Amino acid sequence: MQTLLEIVVTFFKIGIISFGGGWSTVGIIKNEVVPRWVSESEFRSLIAIAQSTPGPIALNAATMIGWNHGGFLAALLATLSVVAFPVMLIAAATILSRHIKLDKLSINESLKTGSMAMMIMTLWALKPSTSDPFLIILGIGAFVIAAFTKINALWAILGAGALNAIAGPWIQGLLGSGR
Amino acid sequence: MDKYKNAALKPPTPLRLFLLHARINLVTLGGGYVIVPVTASSYEKKGWMTEEEFYEIFAQAQAFPGPLALNTAILSSLKLCGFWGAFAAFWGVIIPPFLAIILVSNLMSTFGSLPAVKNFLDGAGAVVPGLVAAMIWKNAKKRKWNAPHIIETAALAVLLILFPAYSLPILLIGIGCFYAIEVICKRCSK
Repeated sequence: MQTLLEIVVTFFKIGIISFGGGWSTVGIIKNEVVPRWVSESEFRSLIAIAQSTPGPIALNAATMIGWNHGGFLAALLATLSVVAFPVMLIAAATILSRHIKLDKLSINESLKTGSMAMMIMTLWALKPSTSDPFLIILGIGAFVIAAFTKINALWAILGAGALNAIAGPWIQGLLGSGR
Repeated sequence: MDKYKNAALKPPTPLRLFLLHARINLVTLGGGYVIVPVTASSYEKKGWMTEEEFYEIFAQAQAFPGPLALNTAILSSLKLCGFWGAFAAFWGVIIPPFLAIILVSNLMSTFGSLPAVKNFLDGAGAVVPGLVAAMIWKNAKKRKWNAPHIIETAALAVLLILFPAYSLPILLIGIGCFYAIEVICKRCSK
């Protein structure tokens, strides 16, 4: 019961500051859930799974952590908590927009600055912790594909997973015998 | 109104909006930046909304916290079909990924300990920092950089990294200050 309440409060909080789409929110989610509910490496695979299953990444992460720590009810409550604040804010803004005028361009600029800083924090929070050179090469490869081509990042995730499943043990063996 | 010629045949109803968003969110992998363009072209094909109108709503949606795909679905359905349209779209976005994740989590607890699956997840997880770096790169290229923007971004990122436990107050106060700075800068340059 206490875990359930903690999950709801945590994801509600994440919802308040989930500006700028999935990737900027990932760092915030990590700060809140690692190591309380998942380990560092579990979190990485959780994000990879969330990105390669349908739906927004923040929602997927909430559902998965809720499901693993309390089953169906926790999964449902975590998912609804993460969107509760945004939805209320949209409702409030729709009603209030007739009365209050904020400078839209300035809002957009300040939010862009905010989400850029959040992404940098996400990168810091997820900086590679492995010493396996093959995994580091896969990470660099994914950067090149996602930054300079129009290929959906999903293929980088699935491709790297498949490569490491097939070639990973062999390369680890090679490195192990080389030392 | 030539561009709305289909509208008389199949006007947007809450049920149709629910089904459309449920279908898109069931089959579209890769998060908001992939879901949004798919929604834009589906709306246009159905004659409900032009892509320009849709992207105007998308721009508004970015001003709100929360998943981009959800915000644009709610705001666009609100415009098409009022409260019940938005309500239906909300559940259309929420339900399919929810079920998919529960399915995947169950598969994970059954097969997650197999060495091949573990290696697959390690490989998939290893690309995540690369993808985040690529997002930063792309956004940095698009951004209009000036001295205040550079200083603000750096300061906020450093604060967020140093005090992870206080990300909520740091972000809310930070973005509030940035808004004030933007407004003041604009007045001064006039």
